[in-house]
Amino acid sequence: METTSYFIRRFLLIVPTFLGITLLVFAVTRVVPGGPIERMLNEALLAGGDRGAAVAGPQGVGGSALSDDQLDQLRAYYGFDKPVLVSYVEWLGKVVVLDLGRSTRYNEPVWETIRDRFPISIFYGLTTLILTYAVCIPLGMAKAMRHHSHFDNVSSGFVFFGYAVPSYVVGIALLTFLASQLEWFPLGGFVSDNYDQLTPWQKVVDVAHHAVLPLMSYMAGSFAVTTFMMKNSLMDNLSADYVRTAIAKGLSFRQAVYRHALRNSLIPIATSFGNNISLILTGSFLIERIFNIDGFGLLGFESLVERDYPVVMGILVISSLLFLVGNILSDICVAIIDPRVKFGQ
Amino acid sequence: MRLRPQTVKQWRRFRSIRRGYWSLLVIGALLALTLVAELLVNSRAIVVRYEGSYYFPTYADFMPGSQFGLDYDYETNYRELAASFAEQREAAAASGAEPPGNWLILPPVPYNPFETDFRDDSFPPYPPSLSTQHYLGTDVAGRDILARLVYGFRLAMAFAVILLLCNYIVGIAVGCAMGFWGGAFDLIFQRLIEIWSNVPFLYVIMIVASVIVPNFWTLIGIMVVFGWMAMTWYMRTSTYKEKAREYVDAARALGASSPRIVFRHILPNTISIIVTFIPFSVATGVTALTALDYLGFGLPPPTPSWGELLAQGTANLQSPWIVTSVVVAMTLVLLMVAYVGEAIREAFDPKQFTFYE
Repeated sequence: METTSYFIRRFLLIVPTFLGITLLVFAVTRVVPGGPIERMLNEALLAGGDRGAAVAGPQGVGGSALSDDQLDQLRAYYGFDKPVLVSYVEWLGKVVVLDLGRSTRYNEPVWETIRDRFPISIFYGLTTLILTYAVCIPLGMAKAMRHHSHFDNVSSGFVFFGYAVPSYVVGIALLTFLASQLEWFPLGGFVSDNYDQLTPWQKVVDVAHHAVLPLMSYMAGSFAVTTFMMKNSLMDNLSADYVRTAIAKGLSFRQAVYRHALRNSLIPIATSFGNNISLILTGSFLIERIFNIDGFGLLGFESLVERDYPVVMGILVISSLLFLVGNILSDICVAIIDPRVKFGQ
Repeated sequence: MRLRPQTVKQWRRFRSIRRGYWSLLVIGALLALTLVAELLVNSRAIVVRYEGSYYFPTYADFMPGSQFGLDYDYETNYRELAASFAEQREAAAASGAEPPGNWLILPPVPYNPFETDFRDDSFPPYPPSLSTQHYLGTDVAGRDILARLVYGFRLAMAFAVILLLCNYIVGIAVGCAMGFWGGAFDLIFQRLIEIWSNVPFLYVIMIVASVIVPNFWTLIGIMVVFGWMAMTWYMRTSTYKEKAREYVDAARALGASSPRIVFRHILPNTISIIVTFIPFSVATGVTALTALDYLGFGLPPPTPSWGELLAQGTANLQSPWIVTSVVVAMTLVLLMVAYVGEAIREAFDPKQFTFYE
């Protein structure tokens, strides 16, 4: 009962945390020089550059491309004409009714921009998640139960490789050697240019062909961490007294592992399980950037670089909500697996 | 100095794990060598003998070319000086005169990480070549890749170790306190950490980079401010777990104070998790710096950096020696760091794994 009310309180506490995160970043976007208005002006200037304005620097921006009236309208439209707190409350009022504003870069609703990227990120996130857990937990168990065996040492060599080398370096290496030098795989993207003309089966093959290298990069990172965490924690438990007791009272080694040690050794894995929901959706912008995959991560990175603050804030809203719910899910997982843990006492 | 028997035992166990022990030796040797990298990878000669005097330019002030009989006042190009000394010897040998006795010793890699080596007939990047002594080739600016790798390694390792120390001190202290005290303290810090870890880290770097150009210490500062939380979650969970166990109740019943319980009972029992994460943290430090440099938000150019080389390599896939050099170097270094970490973990683990038949 104690635990239930603890988790209810945790869910209620999402609200102030969410406000804290968004207010902090919102305020930061207002403090940084070079906001979206300046970016638009520069673009307008570049567009008109052919007509002989090529020498005008940022100082000369004011009068050349847009009139002061138009500027004020733009500022008012994006809420740059009011104090931070006032425009934050306005922004928040729109977010509550699920209006994330318009992208300054694409000039379309932020939600549509973000929504278009979801399928790609979910595809990569879910595939990686399923492959990782399906392989890592059994592999970690097998390695712990046969510690220092031939199998353990050989597999450690491979897993250590992924453990040591960051996924984006794996990605860059795969791209250079398998895609650029050997030309076995495409150089990036989610599908080929002629995707629309392909038969359904060819489409599946095309997506898979493009997915091999990014998936290998995604896997390289999470794979090793999970496998070693599983192995280490199972080994910790195997040397604990209660497993010795279980063996002493006549259980076989396998029974002792499956009935007693396994559940306890899943605790460290459970501490991070809930955070997978944000990984599924947000992915890694480094890998998406290397392979030029138009996912959630790349969108976030590009909006940051291009100072497309409505999209930045929209992504922040979604990713922080996922992160907050994920943290609570992790703690629920821990509470389910380990009844000794008493949160909130 | 006398070591505690437990420490001696742990050291013995660590040494018995050959892979980790040898990796530690190699990393230690590499780090020691990078301390004197200026003697090994540098455009300045180690020692010059000129007209009866010895010069040691490596750690000295800059020496103008006129000092060695060349016709310019800017810094001596020691590779050209070596060639001119050789010419003098040949001329002396041809005319049968006494050789002038001028000589110099260049480092094995006679380039520094900043100088650009342009040729008249082609544009960089140049492929690896023994004759020009660019053993790993040059980057797109004509700078020696091996030199940039070596100095980049030194910088990245220093960065990772300092970052790790700062992160762990803050993270362990906060995480342990959260798990031990629980209640309001735990909730308040959870809110703070949740807000903190959600502030997009890259974004903060970009903001700082738009106001000031980040240097080594500002980058460490920013990364500690936004990176100490990683350790905190694990410490919090495992402290919660340990606190719920009977031995803590027993210690409390015996009258142990809270600091004693935390430092003598809970921390030693959670240390295996902390040590498990050390290889991960060193790798994180190196890879985070490399990733930032790769994206162009790390240390300002022309700082030698692995990330900047990676960015060049991906932009020039037709020059695969750039990517190959960095990937191989990173793989070797990070693999050895991971082996050391694995061995440390095994050596420090107070519980021995038992086999049951």
